[in-house]
Amino acid sequence: MRLNEYRILWVLVFFDLPTETKKDRQIYSKFRKDIMKDGFGMFQFSIYLRHCSSRENADVHIKRVKKILPPKGHVGIMTITDKQFGMMELFYGKEEKELPDTPQQLELF
Amino acid sequence: MIKRTLHFSNPAYLSLSQGQLMIDLPHLKVLGEKESKKSVPIEDVGIVVLEHQQITITHGCIAALLNNNSAIITCDHTHHPTGMMLPIDGHHTQSERFRYQVDASLPLKKQLWQQTTQAKILNQAAILAGRGIDHDNMLHWAKSVRSGDPDNYEGRAAAYYWKNVFPKKVEFFRGREGDPPNNLLNYGYAILRAIVARGLVCSGLIPTLGIHHRNKYNAYCLADDIMEPYRPYVDLIVLRIIDNGENFLELGNSIKSQLLAIATVDVQFEKSRSPLMVGVQNTTTSLARCYEGKLRKITYPMMKDFAPRRGVLYKDLEEDFISLAAEEEGKYYKAGDDDDEEELPF
Repeated sequence: MRLNEYRILWVLVFFDLPTETKKDRQIYSKFRKDIMKDGFGMFQFSIYLRHCSSRENADVHIKRVKKILPPKGHVGIMTITDKQFGMMELFYGKEEKELPDTPQQLELF
Repeated sequence: MIKRTLHFSNPAYLSLSQGQLMIDLPHLKVLGEKESKKSVPIEDVGIVVLEHQQITITHGCIAALLNNNSAIITCDHTHHPTGMMLPIDGHHTQSERFRYQVDASLPLKKQLWQQTTQAKILNQAAILAGRGIDHDNMLHWAKSVRSGDPDNYEGRAAAYYWKNVFPKKVEFFRGREGDPPNNLLNYGYAILRAIVARGLVCSGLIPTLGIHHRNKYNAYCLADDIMEPYRPYVDLIVLRIIDNGENFLELGNSIKSQLLAIATVDVQFEKSRSPLMVGVQNTTTSLARCYEGKLRKITYPMMKDFAPRRGVLYKDLEEDFISLAAEEEGKYYKAGDDDDEEELPF
């Protein structure tokens, strides 16, 4: 199969942007909106992630994030395989929660 | 890149927000927002199948999907696909490619149809071979196909194929309105057709102008031509469903999802292997290059390599390439060769 857990990648974007001035906050919300337009979804506050079906596809989206980087602030971009992503443990309080599903090529709604 | 297929068989509200397709599923509201509201990036979507009467889709959403070269398929109350929406402008050198396609010469179209028919018969033969059914005649027919298939070997092969491919206990007659499993085949072909039509549009071709199909009521003649060699991949899925003993009298969800998985089936080309949806793009790109005159052969997938016979096959093809070149030049035109082509019903 072409789409397996070693080929599917998750791109994570972590960011801390300054929010002191009004201008800073504008830049902050623009960056956030722009990565959401690129298909990133919120995982936690200032951690956004995106599912990419291949390495090439991931590269495209990493490049796009790099293009819209804000002038100030810390931004981290990380890529992990679906396998690694699946091994994450997730908690809300002490209660264990399920991981977000990996989108399938075919989805029935 | 492989794109996603979204299939809606429940009530849904589809809208657009931040370049994302927002999906609201009212029947899952009780499970909470996380279950009932989903978002999919528009640029990851390849095909959307709308198969419920209570789906509401915003215009912004339709426009964004088409902008992204996605195909939108609508179905009627019997769940059968009735229509397809494709972008007008799928390729950047659109009008140039349209012109090449419209100006394509009759000999070129016949050559292309010959290659298509050969690939189809070989793939059908591969399925018969896989089921241990006698298929030597198919290989012979594939080899004998002439430019434009004037002897209708395609029809002969299809007749033999449909007569033998299904297990004897399923009394099968292939026909659009026929009894099950015809319904499964129709469904699978409709999805395949959408994938092919999408590929054609992406390669800057008009799916309406076919190379062989020319029914004046058919809006997707070229898609129907190009999908021929791919049909056996659908047949393979249907055969597997029947072999597994599933109840195929109705199109259940399990059957549908197996048929819709056609986009991810691996197909084998001469040198590479890729998911069907990507393979179709290879094929349509090569077709566009054939129209441009930069290529002589459409890239079609081969289910099985009938190796010992291959030499013979390719030799035949090569001879035709030479004759094609000659016809284009107009100098070495042999009148004798063309006699049998004159009486074609084209």
